Amino acid sequence: MVPNPKFKQVFVLSTAMLSFISFWKAASIVLCDFGSSAYYAGGIAMNSFGPAFPWFILGVMLFSGLMLGVYTESCLMFVRGGVYVVVREAMGKVMAKLSVSALIFDYTLTGPISSVTAGLYLGSLLSNIMPLLHINWHVPARAFAVIFAVIVTAYFWRENIRGVEESADNNLKIIAFVSVVAVLLISWAGLTIYHRGFTLPPFEPVFTEKALGWTVHFPWLKAVGVIGIIMAFGHSILALSGLETLAQVYREIEDPKFENLKKAVITIFVFSVLFTGLLTFMSALIIPGDLIAGKYADNLLSGLALELDGPYWSRLGMQVLVVLSGVLMLVGAVNTSFVGSNGVLNRVADDGILHDWFRHLHKKFGTTHRIINLVAITQILIILISRGDIFLLGEAYSFGVLWSLTFDTLSMIILRFRKQDEEREWKFPFNIKSGNVYVPIGMVAILMVLLAATGMNMLTKKVATIGGVLFTMTFFTIFHISEKMNEKKAQLYAPDEDNDEKMNLRKEADIHTVVPELTKDRRVLVPVRNPNNLLHLAAVLETADDDTTDIIVLSAKIAKGIQSGGETMSDEDKEVFSAVVLMAEKYGKTVKPIFVFSNDPFYSMAQVAQAAGCDEIVMGVSGSSGAEVQLERLAMAWGMLRKPDVPAKPVLAKVVWEGRQMTYQLS
Amino acid sequence: MIRQSDGVSLSTIINPENVFFLEGKPSKEEAVLQLTEKMLPRVAAIISRKALFGRVAEVEKLNQVLESGFYIPHAKFPELDGFHAVLGIIPEGFVDPATGLRVKALLLLLSPHRPDFFQRHLNVLSLLSQTFQPELIEKLAVLKDPAAAAALVTGK
Repeated sequence: MVPNPKFKQVFVLSTAMLSFISFWKAASIVLCDFGSSAYYAGGIAMNSFGPAFPWFILGVMLFSGLMLGVYTESCLMFVRGGVYVVVREAMGKVMAKLSVSALIFDYTLTGPISSVTAGLYLGSLLSNIMPLLHINWHVPARAFAVIFAVIVTAYFWRENIRGVEESADNNLKIIAFVSVVAVLLISWAGLTIYHRGFTLPPFEPVFTEKALGWTVHFPWLKAVGVIGIIMAFGHSILALSGLETLAQVYREIEDPKFENLKKAVITIFVFSVLFTGLLTFMSALIIPGDLIAGKYADNLLSGLALELDGPYWSRLGMQVLVVLSGVLMLVGAVNTSFVGSNGVLNRVADDGILHDWFRHLHKKFGTTHRIINLVAITQILIILISRGDIFLLGEAYSFGVLWSLTFDTLSMIILRFRKQDEEREWKFPFNIKSGNVYVPIGMVAILMVLLAATGMNMLTKKVATIGGVLFTMTFFTIFHISEKMNEKKAQLYAPDEDNDEKMNLRKEADIHTVVPELTKDRRVLVPVRNPNNLLHLAAVLETADDDTTDIIVLSAKIAKGIQSGGETMSDEDKEVFSAVVLMAEKYGKTVKPIFVFSNDPFYSMAQVAQAAGCDEIVMGVSGSSGAEVQLERLAMAWGMLRKPDVPAKPVLAKVVWEGRQMTYQLS
Repeated sequence: MIRQSDGVSLSTIINPENVFFLEGKPSKEEAVLQLTEKMLPRVAAIISRKALFGRVAEVEKLNQVLESGFYIPHAKFPELDGFHAVLGIIPEGFVDPATGLRVKALLLLLSPHRPDFFQRHLNVLSLLSQTFQPELIEKLAVLKDPAAAAALVTGK
C-alpha cells in the first residue's frame, strides 16, 4: 500500500455552530423573551391609562401577529438577519447604526425590567408565605427586587463570560411549564368569571398626568379619540419586546426551514395572545380596579392567582406556580438580553463598526468579555438607578422596541423596491402588483401605526425619549468612531490569533478520529474550494434527509510535500467555511465541515470518503480541468487507496454544475 | 449514467506483447514518447501518427503521477472501440519533476471517447492504480521478461 500519509493536518469545524433546532424550541427561545412581558405589561399600562389597559394589551398582542409577519418575510430574505442587517441593506450603514443603537437600548433594558419584575413577584410571594411560617422579616418589595435583580444579572454576567451556551432545551422546558401554569390559570380564571359574572372594562383610556408627558403643553393634542388610542397603544407596546429574537434564532431552525418558521411564528402568536393578552384581560375582569392599581400593580398575575375563587391555601399554591413560572421565564429573558446584545454587537463588529477592542476574547473562555462587561455594568446601573420602580423601567423600555420595529418595517418596504427581482418564499399579505414590484400596502399600513405610536411616545414618554435618545446617540457615536478607526487601520490589519477560536475549529491528527462523530446511516462527501461555487453543496442540501444523512464538507488545501504539522488556515480558507456554514443555515441542515492540508485534493477526497464509508461524493465542476478529468483523478486516487481485503462498497461520484450532472460509480 | 456491469479485467489489457522494458534513464516526456511509439502500430489503422502523438502530448499535461510512483498517461479517441494499453517498466526509473516521486512503471492507456464507455474507463483507471502499488512496482523493476511481468500484473 501507499506508505505516505496524505494529510498534514485535519481541522474540524465544531458542529455546535451547526446544530439545528425544532420549531418548538425556536418558538420557546423567542417566547422566553417575548412572552415574559405578560408579567409586567398589564400593570404598567394600567398605571398609565387606567382600566382600559386589557383592551390595548390584547390589541398589541394581535398586532404582534402582523409584526411576526413582517419578521417572517425578513427572516426568509436574510438567514442571518435582524434589524441591523435588514436596515443596512435597505438604507445603508448610518441608519443601520441608528437602528441597532435603539435595539441595544431595548436589549439592555430587557435585563433590568425582567429581573426587577421577577424580584417583585418573588417578594410578593415571600410576603405572603413568611407570616405563615411565623417569620416576621419585612423587606421592602422594591429593595428586595433590586437585590434580586443585581444577583441575577451578576449570575448571568458570570455565565456569559464563561461562555455557557443558552440551551434551547431549557427554554422549551420553561415554556412547557409556563404553558401548564397558564392553562391552569386560564381555566380557573374562566370558572371564577363564570361564577362571579363580569363587567367588560371601559375602552376609553384615562391618562395620568405623568403618562401624558409633554403633550400637556400642547392643548390641541387631546388624549381622546384616535389620539387617545394611539397614546394608549404606545404605552402598551412594550409588550412587543422580544420579536427581534426571532430574527436571531431563525438561522438555527432546522429543515424544512420555511415550514418550521411558519409553525414557530403561529406558536408564538397563539401563545402570546392567550398568555399575555387573555390573562391580562382576565386579570382586569377578576381583580378589583383599586387592587390592580395598588397592591398588584407590579405583580398582576400574582394578583390574578390570589383573587381567584377557592380557599386561600389553593390560591396561594397557584401564586407559587405563577411566581415560579414567572421567575423562570423572566430570568431566562435576562440571559437572552446578554446573549442578544452580545450577538448583535458581535454582528456589527463583523461589519467593522465596533472597534476591535470590544471584541477581545477572554483568555480562558474565549468569549467577548468586554462587550459582556459593558452590558452587565449598564444593566446593573439601570437597576440601581430605577430603585426597583418597574413603571420607570417600563416607560423607558418601549423606546427601543418601537424604533427597532419601525426601522425594520420601513426597511422591508424599501427592500420590496430595491430587491424587486429577489425571489421571496413568502410575502407579507396585501400587495398590489405594479410591474415587477409587489407594492406592500399591508406593510405600509403597519408602518403608519408604528410611526404614529413612535411619534406619540416621543411626546408622552419623557424618560424613554430622553434616556433613549441619549443612549442611542452614545452608541451611535461609539459605532461611528469605531468605524472611522477601523477604516484607518484597515490597511494595516493583520489576522489575529483568536480567529481559530472564533470559528470554533479544532485540530485532529487523523481523519479516523472524526469518523466516530458520524452517526447517520448515509454519508455524502461534498468537496468545496471556491466560496462562490457551492452549487453542488446547495444541490445536496436541498435533497438530503438531515435525519439519515451525514453531509461531510471537505476543503483541501494543497501543501506541497508532507512535512510535520503546524499549518494554519488562512483567511481565504476560512471564507470557504463561512460560506458553507451560511448555506447550511439557509437550508437548516447539519454539515460536518473538515479542512485538510494535502498533496492532492483527490487523494483527500478518496481518503476521507473511504475512511468515513461514504455513499456519495458530490463535486462541483472545475473550470480549469473539467468534469471528466476530475472523475478520472478521483477514480485513480480511489483505486490507489482502496484496500484489496476490504469488500467494495458502491460509491457514487457526481459532478454537478448548472442544470447538469455526471454520475458514475467508483469501484 | 451508471452502468453496473462494466467490470474489467487486467488480463484483457495487459499481455506479454504490450509490456516493454525501457532502457537507460529516460525523462518523463521521453518515456511517454517511447510508449507512444510502441502504441502506434497497434492503432495505426484507425489513428494517424500525428493525431496520436498530438493528443497524448496534450493530455499528458493534465495527467499526474500517482503517489505510489505509478504513472498512467491516458487519452480518449472517438475512433476506438476498446482499450489499448502499453506498459513500460524502467528499472532505474525517472524522477517526476512535479512531485519528486520516482517512477519505475507507467502505462499508456487509450480509451474510446464515448459516454457509454466512460464508466469502464474509470473502472480501468481505478483498477490500474489499485494494482500498481509500490511493492508490485519494485518486483516488476527487477524482472527482465515481459511475459513474467504480465503474469505478475495479471496474476496469471
